[in-house]
Amino acid sequence: MPALWSMIQANLKMSVRNRTALFWNLAFPAIFILIFGAVFGRDAGVSFTVGIAGEASALRDGTVAAMEAADAFAVEQGDAAAELAELEDGERDVVLVFGPAGADGRPAIDLAYDETDGPNARIAVAATRQVLLGVAGGETPLAIAERAVTSTEVSFMDFFVPGILAMSLMNSGVIGLSTAFVIYRERGILRRIKVTPFPLWAFILARVASQLLVAVAQSLILIVLARLLFDLHLRGNPILILAVILLGALAFLAIGFAISGFARNAETAASYANLVTFPMLFLSGVFFAVDSAPAWLQPITRLLPLRYLVDALREPMTRGRGIAEIWPDLLVLAATFVVAMAVAVRFFRWDARGA
Amino acid sequence: MPASALVRPAADSRLPTPDQPVIEARGLVKRYGGAVAVDGVDLVVAEGEIFGILGPNGAGKTTTLEMVEGLRAPDAGTIRVAGFDAVADPASVRRVIGVQLQTTALFDYLSAAELISLFGGLYGAPTPPARADELLALVGLTEKRASRVDQLSGGQQQRLSIALALVNRPRVVFLDEPTTGLDPQARRALWATVRGVRDGGATVVLTTHYMEEAETLCDRIAIMDRGRVIALDTPAALIRNLGMAATVRAHVGGDTLPAAALAALPGVTTIVPTDDPTALRLQTSDAQATLVGLLALAEAHRVSLTDLASAQATLEDVFLALAGRTYEQDEQDEPAADSHRPPAKRGRRR
Repeated sequence: MPALWSMIQANLKMSVRNRTALFWNLAFPAIFILIFGAVFGRDAGVSFTVGIAGEASALRDGTVAAMEAADAFAVEQGDAAAELAELEDGERDVVLVFGPAGADGRPAIDLAYDETDGPNARIAVAATRQVLLGVAGGETPLAIAERAVTSTEVSFMDFFVPGILAMSLMNSGVIGLSTAFVIYRERGILRRIKVTPFPLWAFILARVASQLLVAVAQSLILIVLARLLFDLHLRGNPILILAVILLGALAFLAIGFAISGFARNAETAASYANLVTFPMLFLSGVFFAVDSAPAWLQPITRLLPLRYLVDALREPMTRGRGIAEIWPDLLVLAATFVVAMAVAVRFFRWDARGA
Repeated sequence: MPASALVRPAADSRLPTPDQPVIEARGLVKRYGGAVAVDGVDLVVAEGEIFGILGPNGAGKTTTLEMVEGLRAPDAGTIRVAGFDAVADPASVRRVIGVQLQTTALFDYLSAAELISLFGGLYGAPTPPARADELLALVGLTEKRASRVDQLSGGQQQRLSIALALVNRPRVVFLDEPTTGLDPQARRALWATVRGVRDGGATVVLTTHYMEEAETLCDRIAIMDRGRVIALDTPAALIRNLGMAATVRAHVGGDTLPAAALAALPGVTTIVPTDDPTALRLQTSDAQATLVGLLALAEAHRVSLTDLASAQATLEDVFLALAGRTYEQDEQDEPAADSHRPPAKRGRRR
């Protein structure tokens, strides 16, 4: 036990002094948060700029009045072609072009939005629709505008930070551990440990324990950063979130450990690790919801462990969900850990030569 | 072949067993796939000696060491280290040995003092600072106590590895090619360290492929070749048993000298084959008589002799006599420092 503690302490010392690992584990996700936060996450009450053009009508006047009364909209009126050009320049979130009155006395409406704007555009369209339906149905526009604000209360940061947490846990586990163990083996460190009374399994346990401590510290730092700078809302049970962080870290550490058994040297370990992590980074809902991926990709995303970690972090953190909702995710992560660990133990080599 | 002139030590005709063997290995065999890396090795090491295992790369030195350290199980044979069975009870062996490996095997980002403390921890309790200073002083790294591993030179890293091998006050210290890759000055400094370790009460077992190192540093030597021990004795006795005093070397200009005439020269025991046809190398029991005869022979055949030299017999000559080939040939053929590679392709060179 004192031997294990000596090794954990030494590992922590080494983690803090390893600048490259510090960058990838901490600075890299922090930069993501800063950049994405600066672009999308400025305020929780999102404001949309709506361009209104076309034929004059009661509906158009009502819409303009309703939007101007609500905080969530800034209204610009002008010529249809000019407004659409502004939309293409990114100066408008939505453009409404009112046509001439139809048979029922109501004008047809063209709603244009920028599809490259991602989730932001979807929210803008939904909010605009609410207003239009409200005005057409004769309800109080103000009440509808309030509902639109409610739907955007999950800020971009609330959505984004759990994804980035999952990403950094994956990277430090898969990339960090796989290369570390291959280097230990290449340099004869595993062999050196093997000629001391300190068992190899304890050496591995010490490394895993210190990586878990680093993972928790890393998650806390990222959460505090997002909270201080971008007003991240934290919901959900902190104990549950901590447990998810630990389970997720374990699952990805096991994958990294398994990779180290196959890789011949540190370079191949790094490329195998990238091969595993890179697709997951984009197909697991870190940056955008998996639901918005094309249908043919959906079954593939279901095979990726990161998707379940993202989900298990995001559901409690953004929506305050509990274990009753995320237990299937936790089950998949636990299964990932067990399978990857079995593969790792089966292919483990303490010596470059095998034998 | 001169090898017949020498007693090739068989298992029963070897040296009398040292009174207090700290290592006793009998009949060690290790195979990798079809290749036999170690083929029936016996070693008996006495308490308090510096014991060298000498041989070219691929001779089986490292594999032998690994089996004695309890790192690898032999396919056949028995090993006792400090009274423990290294095959059945490697855990007990690990407590009483210290090991320095061929690769440096040090953690990055830790200082020399931190590493010594950590390795103490692996044996149960972090090394106390006073003891760490003592070890650093022994290996001449007192000034480097706070330096990180990557700031140390190759020789300093090797010496730090030796300090780490001593944290548990081992009874036997194993050093695997401790001076490979070091410049001559660093090599000499390391020899002093090794003697210091022995004087501190430990038995030292080291491998080397440097003849000179084995000759000056070791009390006794086992010469290994192709997985077998081909000689085991003190360096002086090995050379004495060779029945030759010296080697005579020269370069022959003009014509060549007939081999029969060379062999008939007084004192000559062997004509050493060389790669260079103009190079002449004779082993002799009487250097003076051979030189006189050689000069007369050269005169008679009207050839010129340049770079004429006579040198006292060394372990190199012992290896040549026993293995039937020069040591340099091996070293050139096998530049890879991977001395524990299974000797798969060696037959080709016979």
